[in-house]
Amino acid sequence: MKYVVFIGSEGLPVPEALAVMQRELPVWIEEMDSRGVRLLGRELELPQTAATVRVRGGETLVTDGPFAETKEFVAGLDIFECADLDEAIEAVAKSPVSRYHPMEIRPFAAGLRLGEAASEFAREDDSAGTPYLLIMWMGGTPAAPLDEAAVMAESEAWRQDLQARGLQVLGNALEGPEAATTIRVRDGQTLISDGPFIQTKEFIAGIDVVRCAGRQQAIELAAAHPIARYHAIEVRPFCSE
Amino acid sequence: MTTPAVQHAVDTAFREEWGRVVATLIRRTGDWDLAEECAQEAFTEALRRWPADGIPHRPGAWLTTVAGHRAIDWLRRGARGAELLEQAGREALPPPGTDGEAMAELSGETGDIEDDRLRLIFTCCHPALPLEGRVALTLRTLAGLSTAEIARAFLVPEATMAKRLTRTKAKIAVARIPYRVPPAHLLPERTAGVLAVLYLLFNEGHSASSGTELIRASLCEEAIRLARALHQLMPDEPEAMGALALMLLHHSRRHARMGGDGELITLEEQDRDRWDTAEIQEGLALLAAALRHRQAGPYQLQAAIAACHARAATAADTDWPQIASLYALLERYMPSPVVRLNRAVAVAMAGDIEAGLAIVDELSGDPRLARYHLLEATRADLLRRRGDAAAAAAAYQRALPLAPSTAERRYLQRRLRETSTSHRPHGTPS
Repeated sequence: MKYVVFIGSEGLPVPEALAVMQRELPVWIEEMDSRGVRLLGRELELPQTAATVRVRGGETLVTDGPFAETKEFVAGLDIFECADLDEAIEAVAKSPVSRYHPMEIRPFAAGLRLGEAASEFAREDDSAGTPYLLIMWMGGTPAAPLDEAAVMAESEAWRQDLQARGLQVLGNALEGPEAATTIRVRDGQTLISDGPFIQTKEFIAGIDVVRCAGRQQAIELAAAHPIARYHAIEVRPFCSE
Repeated sequence: MTTPAVQHAVDTAFREEWGRVVATLIRRTGDWDLAEECAQEAFTEALRRWPADGIPHRPGAWLTTVAGHRAIDWLRRGARGAELLEQAGREALPPPGTDGEAMAELSGETGDIEDDRLRLIFTCCHPALPLEGRVALTLRTLAGLSTAEIARAFLVPEATMAKRLTRTKAKIAVARIPYRVPPAHLLPERTAGVLAVLYLLFNEGHSASSGTELIRASLCEEAIRLARALHQLMPDEPEAMGALALMLLHHSRRHARMGGDGELITLEEQDRDRWDTAEIQEGLALLAAALRHRQAGPYQLQAAIAACHARAATAADTDWPQIASLYALLERYMPSPVVRLNRAVAVAMAGDIEAGLAIVDELSGDPRLARYHLLEATRADLLRRRGDAAAAAAAYQRALPLAPSTAERRYLQRRLRETSTSHRPHGTPS
């Protein structure tokens, strides 16, 4: 089963934490990659680089900044392949990051495909374009009556169109927030809690990674996604070397 | 026609076998709802068939086989069925029409079935599930309580409880929580999690307030039954023994804890002749056996404290210095302000009221106790023992609006009356 692991953050880590993570993270990544648990993972630029995209009445509305007005934000993500939730929990708890940041484990809805574009993205080979994360936020009241099946079908068509244009890296719907589990490691103890790490009435319903020439194109791609008409899509670049 | 003997046998089997039947069906089908439904049908079938066929030699095996057949029937009808049955492979359910008991004897899978129950306990109490969901699911699938009964016990509408159960089961399936006994390196942590759920269940029943007493009292019994099962399944786990001992020792005082007028009676004022000596003996024996493992833990320590009370013939005989040092040890495992507050009482009762009050004063600044009635109630009791009636009355007054149940409010009101009208100091414990 494929899980996404969101790395939560409340801001830049303190220098000591950063030092520990820089020292220990490569060891963890090597172990998890060799076990086949971690398929890929990347860090995001800070939330002030984000744009939130909505389409209302055919018009694209863009606001600067992340969607959720919370202290916490998504700072990066990993994609795991695990036999079950316990394996994912153990892998996350072993990461030095979980000592400083909450980490949320959420299963993908079935059908995540990882092709060559995803491998390039995993290797941080961004020669084909800057990778942007599109975070599909749902919950609250939709701007128009929502037909989930129609949105799903349209999302799939959107993804295929992007793939045909060589812009798609990976993406899929996630299982709902009730399926989320948040891990924190404090004083050597693994604290496991039910639910997402950002606790708002809105929730992350899906993620897509796209390659773009720049921010403007990423916003245009988000605006073409059906979720933008009903809810909101947050657009944020990944860190590049 | 159902005879009283058959009814009794079915009731007994329900109490003893429900969890086993459901646990085995979940392993075989992977479908929690189907497992519950088929178990229910097997018990209905027992009521129909046992009067004519006689009560089977091993009711559990009979019920598991019948429930298994029902599951096959359901699966064959469904689209997913064929696939599931194929997956099950060698583990496949016995063919319909086979005699249940003979089947179970032949396959000799009693050990497996015991493992199933342990799998079910650990899965229901998985830390990634919401706590309320863990409690509800444990009562539904392991103890066999109906959704309506669980809803009544937790004072929520039945629809709310049904939703809670559905969500919890959905998370198990969707997030893929494994149906297994955790591997050795996770076992201590996960066992502690299971014990926490069982003890929470027990406390829900133990802190019964008016109106729902009967239902809530049955929660205590369910918790004890489940703790007993866990102890049988993990006989070498001293904390499981400790938790069972702790529950038994608390439960032994249930008839003495409440006055006829619904007022809470403190340990000190309880009529010790009303304590259940059989439960005390069992609790003490379990505790002794647990301590022989020489792996202390929070449940054993709490049971050891309860045992100090249980062994005292009168309140005055209580070994308070021992209790105070046990609380000090417990604080290492559970560094909570509530444990410290209890230590304050023990220190005071062991003879040093000033030291006890000093700990209470220290705790007054702790925001976690800001709405906790026992902080002021404890301060009041200690001041009363010191003979400071006016200060005690003021503290009882502060505790009163925070008390969560009628029984506790009645106790505080009585103390408030006594200290408000008292003109002479009485420094000795009453």
